[in-house]
Amino acid sequence: MCAVPSADGAPGSAAAAAGPRTGTLTRRRLSRRRLPRRAAPYLLIAPALVVIAAVMAYPMGFLASLSLQDYGLRELLAHQGVWAGAANYARLASDPLFWQVVARSLAFTATAVLLSMVLATLLALLMERCSGPVRLLLGGGLIFVWATPVVVAVDIWQWMFDYEFGVANWALTHLHLGSHVHHNWFENPVEGFAIITALVVWGALPFLVVTLYAGLVQVPLELVEAARSDGATAWQVFWQVTAPLLRPIFAIVLSLSTIWDFQVFNQVWIMLNQRPSSTYYVMGVYSYVEAFRVTQYGRGAAVSIVLVAILMLATFFYVRQMARTGELE
Amino acid sequence: MNGRHLARSAAVLALGLVAVACSGGPGGGGASSNQPSTLTVWLMNGSAPPSIVDGVNADFKARHPNVKVDVQIQQWSDVTTKLDTAFAGGAPPDVVELGNTLVAKYAAAGALSNVTSKKADFENSSTWLQSLTDSCTLSGKLYCVPYYAGSRAVVYRKDMFDRAGVKPPASTDEWLQIGQKLMDTNRSDADFSALYYPGKYWYAALPFVWDMGGDIATQSGGQWKGTLDSPSSQQGLTTLANMVGKLSRADKTGDELKQDAAFVQGHIAMLVANGWEIGVITDPKTGDPSLKDKLGVFPIPSHTAGQTAPVFLGGSDLGIAARSRAQDLAQEWVGLLTGKKWQTQMATVGLVIPNTTALLSANDGQPLIGTFASAARNSRFVPNSPNWANVESANVIPDMLVSIFTGKASVADATKSASGQVTQILNGKS
Repeated sequence: MCAVPSADGAPGSAAAAAGPRTGTLTRRRLSRRRLPRRAAPYLLIAPALVVIAAVMAYPMGFLASLSLQDYGLRELLAHQGVWAGAANYARLASDPLFWQVVARSLAFTATAVLLSMVLATLLALLMERCSGPVRLLLGGGLIFVWATPVVVAVDIWQWMFDYEFGVANWALTHLHLGSHVHHNWFENPVEGFAIITALVVWGALPFLVVTLYAGLVQVPLELVEAARSDGATAWQVFWQVTAPLLRPIFAIVLSLSTIWDFQVFNQVWIMLNQRPSSTYYVMGVYSYVEAFRVTQYGRGAAVSIVLVAILMLATFFYVRQMARTGELE
Repeated sequence: MNGRHLARSAAVLALGLVAVACSGGPGGGGASSNQPSTLTVWLMNGSAPPSIVDGVNADFKARHPNVKVDVQIQQWSDVTTKLDTAFAGGAPPDVVELGNTLVAKYAAAGALSNVTSKKADFENSSTWLQSLTDSCTLSGKLYCVPYYAGSRAVVYRKDMFDRAGVKPPASTDEWLQIGQKLMDTNRSDADFSALYYPGKYWYAALPFVWDMGGDIATQSGGQWKGTLDSPSSQQGLTTLANMVGKLSRADKTGDELKQDAAFVQGHIAMLVANGWEIGVITDPKTGDPSLKDKLGVFPIPSHTAGQTAPVFLGGSDLGIAARSRAQDLAQEWVGLLTGKKWQTQMATVGLVIPNTTALLSANDGQPLIGTFASAARNSRFVPNSPNWANVESANVIPDMLVSIFTGKASVADATKSASGQVTQILNGKS
């Protein structure tokens, strides 16, 4: 992924110019031994296609067909669902709880993605500028966060914000920031989601920072220096020089963050002891509760199909944006 | 190019869901029960003490020396998901312990063997507790064997009561009064709860509803109607909310799983608890043995002075998986654990209410446990519907209580919404 900016970031490079020429050569040779040459590429991608079909298309198709069935415990035991058409979707559409869940998920994703992008960019810039030892310290810290398994991380955060024994309540009280003795951080979902957002952003930062940093060091120094000698401020250098060059990387990390945050599950589920109240339902949790707790697998499948659809819609714009960026270069 | 990446990630996401849904279930039951030489048993955490399980296995071994019994302990928090996957797979555990509110769901789905014709073979079957037998019965057929029951009462610290100069209350009003006196006496302790009541503790809320004449739901003409929003139910919940607000510093969004550990810390005067929790509180590993002489128990009082409120009769049944290949062995093992010999042990060592009325007096000599057993005589049960388990899974009542205690919704609004959900789920297709 780190190689992307250097290829895209060097406009009119020799490699790009050479592309078409190699193409015509190949085409000429092709005309002589047409059939075997034509078949070769397909043969080469066939194994990959088979694997993708097995691990992706089949389950996806199964999920879609499950979402069109009435599939409860009895059907699960009989291994045979009852065709229900679009009933599961109709039910979702008319369920006010579902729309709340969608809105909550979108709001959570927007907040978490925005925060992680801004913080990751700032940290990456810091990492580029600071001295060697500091960079090592920063990088090491990030790697530790990265290496913490999600379940462990959630448990630690849960302890920090515990109602009775949490260090957050203790520290805030001792810092005279109001009495937080027996303050329940999850009583008010806004506060609860603030903590969950912090946890998700904290966990996402290492990958984002490292990726953005890798992009930053690829930005040609001459360009930055040229801009500076023309009198550009740091702010202008970032927005006029660095940011445009990093656009493909931004697009990738933005898409990935959106996907991760929209399907958040562990952080909510474990933080709330596997029994979140409905005010904490996000798409992933809602789908799980419908499928595995209420034992309506068809309805759970319908929720996850909607989740995938929304994700595809949301990421479509980024992808298109990225494709356009590619064309411009 | 990245589009394909994205589509793949999205699909992998979906795949995860499906993979979990389709997997035959890693849940321990597994491959071993393929051979009739092994009997797999799922018991719940905290049901039978190890000494009883070992004893039953030894008795079983004497009869079937070549059969290995594999007893696996399951946790309450995720048991339904594990049961679903296990029953859907080809090799479920042969014997499963089921909470009495869960049986109807699994019986209706065809997961449990019909043991109606074998009933007479079980030792205590003529004197089984009626409410446990009812929980095993669906459309007149028997799908499980009553195992044990539990009912709740109030566990209190006698030393704290003495210091505050109060006695166990005779009515709900008095309960609140002595609670306030305890709060006054322990004013200086910011962690003190006269009555420790975690917000999601719905089993302890039901007595307040039933005592005022309310209920969770009523059935007429085959249709269920949620009645938590009836004036009497609301009155009971208002009384409870008032008590919780004034007497409890427990987490209003927490559940009761850690209440015994909290009680041992010494900042709690009263707790609504099951009989076996006395064992947890006084156990040297999980609790504090020195508390043994300081504990007292009184039944949950009624609003009518001198009477007690109806309590929820919890408990467990033992079912045999319909797909088990060891039906006869399973039945024999269940017969041992639910028979007279080991049920007597369940009462005296396990501190629960045994499955038969013939043994109800087993704990009469014991002042603490005796109170729990007598509380069970005035007990009620949740709506007996295959859909009830889904009301539990959807957290309807805990959510309602949390909204009320945290002030997020008024009693009227919270009960109205919960009642609507109960009606909808109970009348839905199972």
